[in-house]
Amino acid sequence: MNLFNIPHNELLQHLLNGLTLGAIYSLIALGYTMVYGILKFINFAHGEILMLGAYAGYYVYYLICDPSQGGSFVIFAFIISLLTAMVISASLGVFIERVAYRPLRKAPRLAPLLSAIGVSIILMNLAALFFGTKSRKFDYPIDNTTIQLDGTSITPNQIMILAVGLIMMTALKLFIDKSRLGKAMRATSQNQSVAALMGINVNFIISLTFAIGSALAAVAGIMMSLEFKLYPTMGQMAGLKAFIAAVVGGIGNISGAMLGGILLGLLETFGVVILGIPQGLKDTIAFSVLIIILLVKPSGLLIKNIREKV
Amino acid sequence: MKKLLSVLISLMLLFALACGKESDVVKSGETIKIGFLGPMTGDAGNYGKLMSQAVKVAVEEFNAAGGAEGFNAEVLVEDTEGKVEKANPAIEKLAGVDKVFGIVGSVFSSVSLAVAPKAEASKIVMISPSSTHKDLPEKGKFIFRDVMSDALQAIVFGKYLAKVENVKTVAILYIKNDYSQGLAMDFKAQFEKEGGKVVAVETALQGDKDFKTQLTKIKGANPEAIYFPNYVAEIAQMLEQSKQLGIKAKFYSADGFSNPQILELAGDLANGVIYTQAAEQPTSQKRKDFEAKYLAKWGEKPDAFSLNAYDGALIMLNAIKATSSKAMGGNLKIDRDKVRDFVAKTKDYDGASGKITFTANGDLVANIGIYTAENRKFKQLKMFKLDGENLVEIK
Amino acid sequence: MLNFILLIFIYIGIYAISALGLNLIVGYTGLLSLCQAAFLGIGAYSAAVLMTAFHFGFWEAMLISGIITALCGMLIGIPTLRLKGDYLAIATLGFGEIVRNIIVNWDSVTKGPMGINGIPGPNLFGFMFSSMDKISWVILIWVIVGISYYFVRRIVRSRVGRALEAIREDEIAASAMGINTAKYKIGAFTTGAFLAGIAGSLFASYNQSVAPLTFDFMMSIMILCMVVLGGLGNNYATVAGAIIIVITSEIPRLFGISHIIPPQLNQVIFGLILVLMMIYRPQGIIGRVKLNYAKILKKEILHLEK
Repeated sequence: MNLFNIPHNELLQHLLNGLTLGAIYSLIALGYTMVYGILKFINFAHGEILMLGAYAGYYVYYLICDPSQGGSFVIFAFIISLLTAMVISASLGVFIERVAYRPLRKAPRLAPLLSAIGVSIILMNLAALFFGTKSRKFDYPIDNTTIQLDGTSITPNQIMILAVGLIMMTALKLFIDKSRLGKAMRATSQNQSVAALMGINVNFIISLTFAIGSALAAVAGIMMSLEFKLYPTMGQMAGLKAFIAAVVGGIGNISGAMLGGILLGLLETFGVVILGIPQGLKDTIAFSVLIIILLVKPSGLLIKNIREKV
Repeated sequence: MKKLLSVLISLMLLFALACGKESDVVKSGETIKIGFLGPMTGDAGNYGKLMSQAVKVAVEEFNAAGGAEGFNAEVLVEDTEGKVEKANPAIEKLAGVDKVFGIVGSVFSSVSLAVAPKAEASKIVMISPSSTHKDLPEKGKFIFRDVMSDALQAIVFGKYLAKVENVKTVAILYIKNDYSQGLAMDFKAQFEKEGGKVVAVETALQGDKDFKTQLTKIKGANPEAIYFPNYVAEIAQMLEQSKQLGIKAKFYSADGFSNPQILELAGDLANGVIYTQAAEQPTSQKRKDFEAKYLAKWGEKPDAFSLNAYDGALIMLNAIKATSSKAMGGNLKIDRDKVRDFVAKTKDYDGASGKITFTANGDLVANIGIYTAENRKFKQLKMFKLDGENLVEIK
Repeated sequence: MLNFILLIFIYIGIYAISALGLNLIVGYTGLLSLCQAAFLGIGAYSAAVLMTAFHFGFWEAMLISGIITALCGMLIGIPTLRLKGDYLAIATLGFGEIVRNIIVNWDSVTKGPMGINGIPGPNLFGFMFSSMDKISWVILIWVIVGISYYFVRRIVRSRVGRALEAIREDEIAASAMGINTAKYKIGAFTTGAFLAGIAGSLFASYNQSVAPLTFDFMMSIMILCMVVLGGLGNNYATVAGAIIIVITSEIPRLFGISHIIPPQLNQVIFGLILVLMMIYRPQGIIGRVKLNYAKILKKEILHLEK
């Protein structure tokens, strides 16, 4: 409506804002969608694994370097801390799956869902207990001077987030579509018992999925804390939003997660601008769209609807 | 199942009987209990933590000075999670089980308003270090606060911006919580009354960290200044994202900015932000001593609300000390009404947060300091008081 | 101390009413709903607004807010016709967030983040319920718990209840049997929401204030836990679940150790209970009451033999 009254560079800025916000959602959604794709259950603890991964990265980063010095060593230290965080998160993800989800694989659907919520509560509060409730700053490893173009601006870090998202998506897609393990994963996601009959070690594949999903969460967590700081509840809302993104794109679908994330980011930014309502209502718009998409196309944008047969 | 239930209930009843002690007497060997109510978990957990630590410092200091007639004090920290329904059991426990003589808290206005009637009914002096809602002191005789009300802070700042800094256009960006919204609304009304123009009012949700959409809109409205009456985690994000978007306006904030964490989170971006806080006496040794003690004990610096919490705790402890007397059997007798009256009479108390005087209904009479951050330190620029409608600078 | 225990029982009662409502949706009909807190919030806010802005009495306000909440329940019930399992859970979760979001932002009605204060208590034939007088509140609330319990029991032991359980066990088979699944699913949501609305108005009136932070996702989870912990599809177990959950969350305060142990630990323990419970007893502490067909059959045979 009043979209046409907004100067074009402001509009462009909104577009960039939506893209960068959406890129973060996409990053988290990638890990989310993988786990859901295999096990068909909402891993509510994903946001907390992300948070713990970010804390792990934080401690390693500040242990090996002083980011205020700048220079190539800081970038090196950042990469090391990113890798360590991925490993720690992956182990944590595998451990959680073993302890809290595996015993429930045959249970009614409600059980693993509640177990996941329990894990999420435990992890969040343990983090608050040990790391404190205050926000921490995660210094940029690179020079983050804003790039100004025609009255609009974007930071190198935001570009990095977008790039990392695209790289991760491509790598994941290649891995799942082309590699043997990926094939095993797809088989497991379609039918666990048949996959087992075909000689696939289902437990191993599920552990692997959790490891990869959690490692991706660590990357997302660190990217997110560069942009939004580090605090024990950081994974909560972001996790929920990312999950919505995954559902919107078609859960279990890698490119769908990326698309859903970007879409959600744009929606949160543009929804209120277009409708001219207070920004506080952005969640209402995001969640309404979620419900509408669920109604119109329950399986998400990128997956074909499958009718249930009797 | 039924067995489990009956065991639980009988346990509780047993406990109830065991705890039925007199409410105005502290037996010899026991401690004088005061309570702290605030969010210790969740998004605002850090504020509760900082303030509760300040109360602990106050209690230690009180005990080191000999306590009251040799009785030591103790603080019981109860978590409200910032929610009314969690605060109710907390105050019920403090009032009914621990029989506390005073409560520092609660932190959020919505919670303080809800628990105030219970403190009043149990004759517990309650001094809130951070609830700025205008109605709070009217909730009862026992309800006090040593933080400036939204109204006072926002009125002074509205006048200051319009009259002293000569700012003509302002944009406001605030988080939808009771603290920020109260300040934002009162400031807007006052600033407009002074002839200023508020060109944009943008809101965000508690827990949001991305404010680029709002800031982009504010940039489009091109204000001279932006007012951020929020807590530091959000302000740090707002400052950084404003810079990213190339916003050149001046930044103003309120006492939420006083948390030293901002210096760490926002770094140099915090420089030059001007904010309000209860004025300190420029030569306050008390504040320096407190800050040193706090830093030594907890390894972090206190925020402005912690100063208030510390002062509030000492005011009520001193009142208990002044009004209590040794009773038979080495017990300490404390008259709750006398404690209340003593607290109410507080005048020009030299606290860490400044001179404290309560009005007749228990609100804080305060001079307002205009502060800024400079080279990773806070600095007081000016001091004002409100004389009727006029803003008077105190030299 | 007595006051503290009475308070706990007041809270248990309020949660039990909304948990009974949720049990109808999740336990009997098998629809996973994550927005019971939102229903409670709608009820609490409707009652608060009716009583403070329009000066309604408590009883009228309670009834009207129950009906408003029921209508909202119907609104969220309609999508359930298309959605199943996790997707339904997500849709209800989204609905819960929308409600909270609107409550925070609709300042002119809900007073936004400030919440509404000064909500009066009920007046019963001239007797005023005051929040200070906990005994009469406990009686009032547990009477309403009793009525709700009876109400839900009447529903589930009737034709309607059997239809709901049939839908839970196999929706397609149920509709093949001629059950109008759409009608019953929406009905379950409407009734469940109605009870939450009643609980919400009690919540508002007892606490004398409502604030938006209260009705968050965690509260929905807590109510869901009450239903699951006791045993899905068992009303007696649901009330027991409410008792257990509320008391567990207050245990540190009950034993006077809340100021010694870090507050986060309390939450960690809650999470642990949830996980352990799901692993070792996913059917709940009491479990579902099942008709024992073998026993019935035996009785019939005995009867025939005679």
